[in-house]
Amino acid sequence: METVLVVDDEQGILEALADLLREEGYRVLTASHGREALARMSELRPDLVLTDWMMPVMDGPALIKHIRTEPEWKGVSLLGMSAVDVAALRAEYPGVPFLQKPFDIPALMKQVRKALDGKRAL
Amino acid sequence: MSPSEQAPRQDARVSTGVPGLDAVLGGGLITSGVYIVVGEPGAGKTLFANQLCYHQGRTGVRCLYVTLLAESHARMLANMRDMAFFDPALLPDGVYYVSGFRTLEEQGLPGLLELLRREVRNHNANILVLDGLVQAQEAAGSSRDFKKFIHELQVSAGLSRFTALMLTSSNGPTVHPEYTMVDGILELRERTLGVRSWRELQVRKFRGGATMGGVHTFRISNAGLEVFPRLEARMRRGPPPEPSTQRVHFGIPSMDVLFPGGLAAGSTSLILGPPGSGKTLMGSSLLAEGLRQGESCLYMGFYESPERLLHKVAAAGMDMSGAVKEGRMHLLWQPPAECILDVLADQLLSTVRKHKVSRVFVDGLPAMSQAAPDPSRMPSFFAALTQELRSSSATTIFSLETPRLFGPVLDVPLEPGPSAVAENLFFLRHVELEGRLRRLLTIFKLRDTDYDPSIREFVISRQGIEVQPPFEVALDTLLTGLARHRSGGHP
Repeated sequence: METVLVVDDEQGILEALADLLREEGYRVLTASHGREALARMSELRPDLVLTDWMMPVMDGPALIKHIRTEPEWKGVSLLGMSAVDVAALRAEYPGVPFLQKPFDIPALMKQVRKALDGKRAL
Repeated sequence: MSPSEQAPRQDARVSTGVPGLDAVLGGGLITSGVYIVVGEPGAGKTLFANQLCYHQGRTGVRCLYVTLLAESHARMLANMRDMAFFDPALLPDGVYYVSGFRTLEEQGLPGLLELLRREVRNHNANILVLDGLVQAQEAAGSSRDFKKFIHELQVSAGLSRFTALMLTSSNGPTVHPEYTMVDGILELRERTLGVRSWRELQVRKFRGGATMGGVHTFRISNAGLEVFPRLEARMRRGPPPEPSTQRVHFGIPSMDVLFPGGLAAGSTSLILGPPGSGKTLMGSSLLAEGLRQGESCLYMGFYESPERLLHKVAAAGMDMSGAVKEGRMHLLWQPPAECILDVLADQLLSTVRKHKVSRVFVDGLPAMSQAAPDPSRMPSFFAALTQELRSSSATTIFSLETPRLFGPVLDVPLEPGPSAVAENLFFLRHVELEGRLRRLLTIFKLRDTDYDPSIREFVISRQGIEVQPPFEVALDTLLTGLARHRSGGHP
């Protein structure tokens, strides 16, 4: 079973995404900011981190930077999501796919599968 | 001492970016102040806070927007996308959104306070919005805990030099005792009377500066909030200007002879009369004469469209279309449905000032009066309006329709009463006389000039208005519209 870590400071969104992903058959971890996400990752290595951008304590960019620079997290797939215009974020963070909030569920699942397929192909 | 180490100026202000609001606040919010914005759901609190953030963000100020179980950030931003103030380029550096809900749930007010302090520091924010203060209030164990939270936030705002806005729904008393600790309280509300609703803003408390008291109307459009400060609250203080020695005339020789001294420039006149009695043409005559003198004039109307007015006055020998093209004749037309009184006053006064208008005709005073949901406001409003017009040296005429065509009773549908509005009163009337409906003119009052008080018939033709000589036959009860010979019986 593949594990997805969902990181979002908005509790309602966090819970809704976790429920959806569980229904799709994934194991789901949650965190409300980047620092909490790193703690979760230490407990159970996820296959994919689906992270919001604007969050307290540690935001999405800081979390992604940390994951990318730490050798132990090499191979973990990343997927960003934000209410901010993601076209600018895509330019700023090449290689990280982004979902523009609000998104529809099929689009989310497609992106999650795509990110995990990419990881399996490695 | 570096700039960052200097104490903030006591009078430093934070512009809200809401047109009209900074004026109400005496220049804006005070830097490092903590403010509560209270109002029922839908009152415009979130919109207001976002408008302020994007306005400040455009100037390089960083804003932190913390929500506590409000709508999701994505939905909030989606709602903002069509607003003129919204600028996606300011996200996330200029305006940064985070949720403090989970922290509040798990760590209570101390945890929330810590989060606010840390995030303000991390983002180098000068503006903090806490949207959903009611959640923090509910999470507080006691009123004392909530007061402590507000106090500590105030201390942080002073130390870290950020200005805080806390948005809260009003449930129960509009202003809780705990709120009085903050530097200011702004209340937004929507009121309804019958089928009509309107929005109001009131500054309930403001430390460190004088604000415009009372209630001010605001509206929400794609531009965001726009506040219209109450005219009475922003009028110039001081005695009204002395009457001008300059005199103005209607340019109707047979009428001007009734008061050869003319009207005092800068004075206010009221033309009373039933529908069709000639008020519009008489008022327009004053403007036409002003145009002939090379002056700038303004017609503000509610019923006749500009095209229809120009056609009507042209049929009475007053061609104003050339002056319209030249920019000397200004036409303001506003359908009378659901206007905002202070918007009407703003349009009128700004046109007068901008174009140095010397003669004004407001055709349809009741339409202006009806724009105020609260009629008790009208005496002070008209006092302020006429004071401002006098201060601009504009000679003004208001027309006021009386509801009865005939009869011994004169109804004046104006709350303050005509004398409170105008120094000069003209009364037009229809009268049935010798089998014909005629128009009568009476001067009730003219200040600072002699006048002929006799009742005169006047006619309107393609050459304009002509006032007739006094009646040769002895008539009574002319002003009732039902004339009688003094000997009795109908003439």
